[in-house]
Parts: sequence; C-alpha cells; structure tokens
Amino acid sequence: MFDLLLHEGIKNFIGVPDSTMKYFISQGFKKKKILITTREDEAIGIAAGMSLSKQNSLVFMQNAGFANSISTITSLVQLYEFPIIFLIGWRGYLKDDAPEHYKIGRIQPKLLRTIGVDSKTVTESNWKQCCKWAINKVNDSVPCALIIKREFHD
Amino acid sequence: MIRKDAIKIASDMIGDSPIISANGYISRDLCETDDKDTNFYMIGSMGLSSSIALGVALKNTRKRVYVFDGDGNILMNLGSLTTIGKLKPKNLIHLVFDNQSHDSTGGQPTNSENIDLCKIAEASNYKAFKTSSKANLKKILNKVKTLDGPIMIVIKISKGGNPGKRITYSPITIRKRFSQKL
Repeated sequence: MFDLLLHEGIKNFIGVPDSTMKYFISQGFKKKKILITTREDEAIGIAAGMSLSKQNSLVFMQNAGFANSISTITSLVQLYEFPIIFLIGWRGYLKDDAPEHYKIGRIQPKLLRTIGVDSKTVTESNWKQCCKWAINKVNDSVPCALIIKREFHD
Repeated sequence: MIRKDAIKIASDMIGDSPIISANGYISRDLCETDDKDTNFYMIGSMGLSSSIALGVALKNTRKRVYVFDGDGNILMNLGSLTTIGKLKPKNLIHLVFDNQSHDSTGGQPTNSENIDLCKIAEASNYKAFKTSSKANLKKILNKVKTLDGPIMIVIKISKGGNPGKRITYSPITIRKRFSQKL
C-alpha cells in the first residue's frame, strides 16, 4: 500500500504512528519518506505547507488523533481546500478492545460523515482500489480518508 | 513598540520572501500594513503557523521562509519547536510577536510572561534573539539574513492598539496567490 501511494505521486508521509499501520510506516522508513510529529494537527499543518509547494501528502494517525484533528480539518484543510489523504486507524472496532477506544471507535464513521470527509475502509481485497480512489480525490483537490481496522489484539 | 509597527518593519525588511502569518490580529495587521502575494494569512487553526512554514521551508530550500507567530499561538504548539529542531531547516526564521496576551479575544493573559521562549527555542536547536526596540529589531533582521536557521526572534510588543481590518480575501485566493509565488 505504501509503495503504491508513493508510486502514484504521494511524496510525503507525516503523522503520529498507530499499531494498525506499523508495517505501512516501517516500509515508509525504509524509503526515508516518514516524518513523525508530536501531534496530529501539527502533521496536518506541515502537509498543508507542502501542499502550498505543490506536493501531495498523506497524514497518518490513530482514531484518538483524528478526534484531536477535527478543528484543523475544518478550519485549515477544508477552508483552504488542501488535498490531503488521511490514513486513520480504527480502534474500538472489536468488542474487547481497550476501553479508551470504545466511544471514539463507535462514532468515528459518523464523525467523518458529519464533517464531510469521504472515507473508505481498507481491506485485504480492496486496498488497491482504495488507494486509487484516494489518489483520484487528491488529484481533484479534495481531501479524503482511508481507514484501517484493528482486527486483532497484540 | 506596538504590534502594527513591529509587523511593518519586519515585513518591509523581508521583502518578497514567503511569510506564514498566524491567525488573529497578526495576519490582520500584516494584511493592512504590507499586503503581498507572498503573505499566507491564516484564518483559524491557531498554533499551526510554524508547522505550515516548516512544510514550505522543507520544500523550498532556496528561499528564506518566515513565520509571524504570536505568544499564544506558539504556546499552543510547542511540540513544533522540537520537530523543527530535529530537522534543522536552514531557511526557517521564526518571529514571535509577544504581547503576553490573547489580544483578539479580549486581552486575557497567556503564560509567556515568566517563560523564556528563547531558552526553549535554543534547547530545540534554534539560534534565538530577543528585542523590544525598533532599532534592535532592524539590526537583528539584517544579521540573521546571513545566518543558518532555524532562527527565532522574540519581539516584545505592547498589548492593545487598534487592530487591522478583517481580511477580505477568500482562503482559496490566499492559498492560490501564495502558492503561485513559490
């Protein structure tokens, strides 16, 4: 997935890590394309600066980080129409996940719809179509989100 | 020194290098006193001017990229200093207009009064300068033109004063004209 997005023109991968995407991020480190930030909104700011420089970026985060980022998405990304792909982990999806993820996990799909960010949930079988859908979105200058579910516990 | 004077002096000396300007009165004053296509005015998303500038600086290494930040703004995103300090962009110059208050919301105090922002910046691999006079501000801005960044200049300004008018450009216009000049 990382290689496909890089090949399709996403130049920068910025964010706060999540266990749902550790292989994605470690592939990015191998290619020296990852920038880890202190907070998710900071990552979005950096991606906006890169977008001003005509380079497309992906910002990755946990779903707790998505909750942190809502104001930045509405008052920076959507206000100025910065085309950024968000890669968001989805914890709180399994019934026996850690308790801090329940509430935000349950409302995450609704929150995305409410703020008007189109999203697709990535699976083993549809990941290529999902990546191409996201690339088409940013090429049309529209931000969007790809969601990775946590299907198991460590 | 009042904010509007400090902003005018800095903007004049910076010329047509890109400026990422924080939301609130800082952007309003910059727009009113020295509007340029190379100014990126933030409306909302408080705290993120230095992050946006970092993105611009990393992708435009042949340009000097300036941040017009406020004390309330930078205190909201102190983590940005560590990200900048780790990457050490040579072309990033970070001005903090420090009036120790949230002026646009009624002048409530920030926590910058007894905090040394220069020391925090220096601990994050910045070169840091502090001034409260116009003459010294000009001197520092001249000096840093030949220094490698990241550089922070904390400019102590007085609270209050008449703010500039609201920015009338649409956010899309602000983005497009800035982006075209990069």
